[in-house]
Amino acid sequence: MAGVLIRMKLAVLRHTIAGPRATWMLTGGLAGLAIAAGTIALATTDAAAGTVADLLAVTFTIWALGWMLGPAFGGDPVLRAEQFALEPVPRTRLAIGLLGAAFVGVTTVVTLIAFTALVVYAARLGAAAVVVSIPAVLLQLTLVVLLSRLAARFFGALARSRTGAAVTAVITATMMVLSQSGWVVFIALDVVLQTGFSRAFSLTVRALPSSWGVVAVEAAGRGDWLWVVGPLVALAVLVVLLVVLWGRVLGPQRLARPVVRGSTAESAARWADRGPVAAVYVKEVRTWLRDPLRVQGLLVAPVFAILSGLLPLMFDSTGFLPFVGAITALLAATTSANLYGQDGTALWLTLMVPGTELADVRGRQLAWLTWFGPLSLVLTVVGTAIHGDLWPWALAATTAILGGGAGLVLLVAVDQLVPGPDPHRAKNSPLEHGDVTGQGFVALFLVFAAATPALSVVLAGELLDLPLLSWAGGPAGVLTGLVAYWVLGGVAAKRLVARGPELLYLMRAGKEHEAALSAETSVIKAMPRHRRGLLWTSFFIGCLATFPQGLVPLGMKLSGEIERVWFLALYLPEGLQWPVIALMLLLGLSAFGLAGWVYLVESRKLKARLERKARERERIAEPVSVG
Amino acid sequence: MNEVEGGSAALRLFGLHKVFGEYTAVDHAELTVAAGSFYGLVGPNGAGKTTALSMAVGLLRPDEGRSEVFGVDVWDDPLAARKLMGVLPDGLALPERLTGRELLTYLGQLRGLDPATVAERAAELLEVMELAGDAERTLVVDYSTGMRKKIGLATALLHAPRLLVLDEPFEAVDPVSAATIKRILNRFVAGGGSVLLSSHVMALVEQLCDTVAVMAKGRVVVEGPLDVVRGGSSLEDTFVELVGVKVGGGEGLSWLAS
Repeated sequence: MAGVLIRMKLAVLRHTIAGPRATWMLTGGLAGLAIAAGTIALATTDAAAGTVADLLAVTFTIWALGWMLGPAFGGDPVLRAEQFALEPVPRTRLAIGLLGAAFVGVTTVVTLIAFTALVVYAARLGAAAVVVSIPAVLLQLTLVVLLSRLAARFFGALARSRTGAAVTAVITATMMVLSQSGWVVFIALDVVLQTGFSRAFSLTVRALPSSWGVVAVEAAGRGDWLWVVGPLVALAVLVVLLVVLWGRVLGPQRLARPVVRGSTAESAARWADRGPVAAVYVKEVRTWLRDPLRVQGLLVAPVFAILSGLLPLMFDSTGFLPFVGAITALLAATTSANLYGQDGTALWLTLMVPGTELADVRGRQLAWLTWFGPLSLVLTVVGTAIHGDLWPWALAATTAILGGGAGLVLLVAVDQLVPGPDPHRAKNSPLEHGDVTGQGFVALFLVFAAATPALSVVLAGELLDLPLLSWAGGPAGVLTGLVAYWVLGGVAAKRLVARGPELLYLMRAGKEHEAALSAETSVIKAMPRHRRGLLWTSFFIGCLATFPQGLVPLGMKLSGEIERVWFLALYLPEGLQWPVIALMLLLGLSAFGLAGWVYLVESRKLKARLERKARERERIAEPVSVG
Repeated sequence: MNEVEGGSAALRLFGLHKVFGEYTAVDHAELTVAAGSFYGLVGPNGAGKTTALSMAVGLLRPDEGRSEVFGVDVWDDPLAARKLMGVLPDGLALPERLTGRELLTYLGQLRGLDPATVAERAAELLEVMELAGDAERTLVVDYSTGMRKKIGLATALLHAPRLLVLDEPFEAVDPVSAATIKRILNRFVAGGGSVLLSSHVMALVEQLCDTVAVMAKGRVVVEGPLDVVRGGSSLEDTFVELVGVKVGGGEGLSWLAS
């Protein structure tokens, strides 16, 4: 069973390898490898063994949370139980088969590499610990894969109703905050390495199943065999239980989908006399309220922002509270960046009704602002009032991000559209969407960039000690926001007019339309847009990492003439400088390698396509009889 | 074979051509739908009907060729052309989280129609399509396939177009709804409207249409008045003969029900 399913998954992956999915798979894989390298580096840090174990336990918890969150952003797995619903296969066997298939993937390989940090750590505790670490790593990997699949199943079932979607939003946001807050530990790394963690923290972290492998390895180092066997057996039992549980939930979905009702005949025509923008606006506001996926989007942003603001209260810091509103707006922009992709092929109506593209964009912008604008502003005012300071920063950030978001959300939605199944086909599995991770990052960075002018005004005011200039940051945010709303929305509408049929094709076919080719077409032009993006980005990262962040500090270290400027490695403690330089060089070379590989693959593809086309021409040139 | 004058045509396709990668979906298709005619486009699955119709109405950019609605070029003057036609694509999404009435109101408002007119037409259309009453507050996402076709047809009719382009309007529609749709279309043509519909149900096309065209492998193989095209035999026989395919299912599969 597992063999068949693994071959099937590989076949599907082979066919998707040309799409945007593959591009992001490569990008994600590269980023993942960097994080995996970081995890292994942790195992080699020069600190007390117990502290290193704590650090590893925290890191493994973050990895596990990441696996559980993955499906919420990455869309559904390639193989789903529903596809085999009619095959006469017992559920447990299917569960094991699907589990086998779930192991096949870039993420699993990257995670396995990261988890070998445990073996590296074990090496300093002796041979016995190394022997123990190997089954521990494998069990741990199985655990995270299973947790990920179960989480996807659980959220998928929940997200079909609006209440469930709201619950999913809260859980997702909480997990995101937890996995983020883990990094707080690393910000304070220097202190932690010397003083270690508090006992309560160590115990709490070790109680989590993702750390049981660490506990077993530590015990092996001490020769405490009870604590070696115990956690490993517990981990194995947990894995078996989860497999059984998974087999059970694989059956037909039991929860019926609650039906959302629309308005009555009397109230259907609300604002019907106010023109096209109002029409789109009313439609959008209704959709935000009625679509579980949108309801989830409405909640993830504020819940994440509020929890992130509350967490530092544990260390008596209110410093984060003024920015809760800004973070809400920022995350709202990130999660709303696929507005057109979510609506699927419904775009045809916008294209068929003459001249309504701009109204469509403006209506959607206004609806987005209606949901997130007042909310972000209220959170900003309340948060800043509690903190009592940072007013200029908070106001500038919130207003600039809201306006920038209102402009960029639509531009990204048109420009970086991620196709998914049409909403009426996915009504029973709302989480079955395209992989929006990459698009989300694009939106995140762009919106953040849109806020920099306003924030720079505040910064300038602080540096020059001109309070009036600092306070001008808020109005500056309003101004850049208005410009972003107006100009970027206009650009989005123009793109929609120009590329409308192509976008519709993308959503219909799930892939970009291949342009007509000629022998003069350059490789760069002929490759799909996302590939071109990957090529330039990796080239840029390659330049940045290899030269200024790798070779220059290397030269300075060798010559002894050190000027820190913006060379990351030189700002770090002495012991970390060489590893970081090496890491940068490695990153730079891999990025160059990736860029070269993309170019090579695409130029080969272009050549093959041109040859095929030439053959096709010859064939068509022959006369064909027509009845 | 073309017996209609181009000047009075409701829709004319001039050498529409589309290639997807290495696959030629539509190969220089030419069609002429005379004003006031009920025109059927038939062809086997994958013949290029949907691709041709998408290009004809302006939803898919052709590699070559053009399309005119009452003499207005669909790609050069999309605004004017789209006012003249109502379109029902096959299987595309709609604004899913609206009720039928909300959807029609939204579209009427988008098209700049007078609110009172929209309300009146929406009420009539929903009544005729049997989408009012029990289904009043049901969202489009929860509609059955037949209901989706009917609301799609209502959106195509709302602005009182002169030409209807319908892709598989009877696919997966129950007999009662099909009868409703047929009656509406017949009334539309009787009132001076023109209809172009695609289908692979020959009997239905024979029953409704006065003009037919047959597509196969991306080409328009034949076009003309129904009686001329089918000659003495049925449309189905003519179709099989024209498309030149062997009817499968006669051999092999000996293991089935043996």
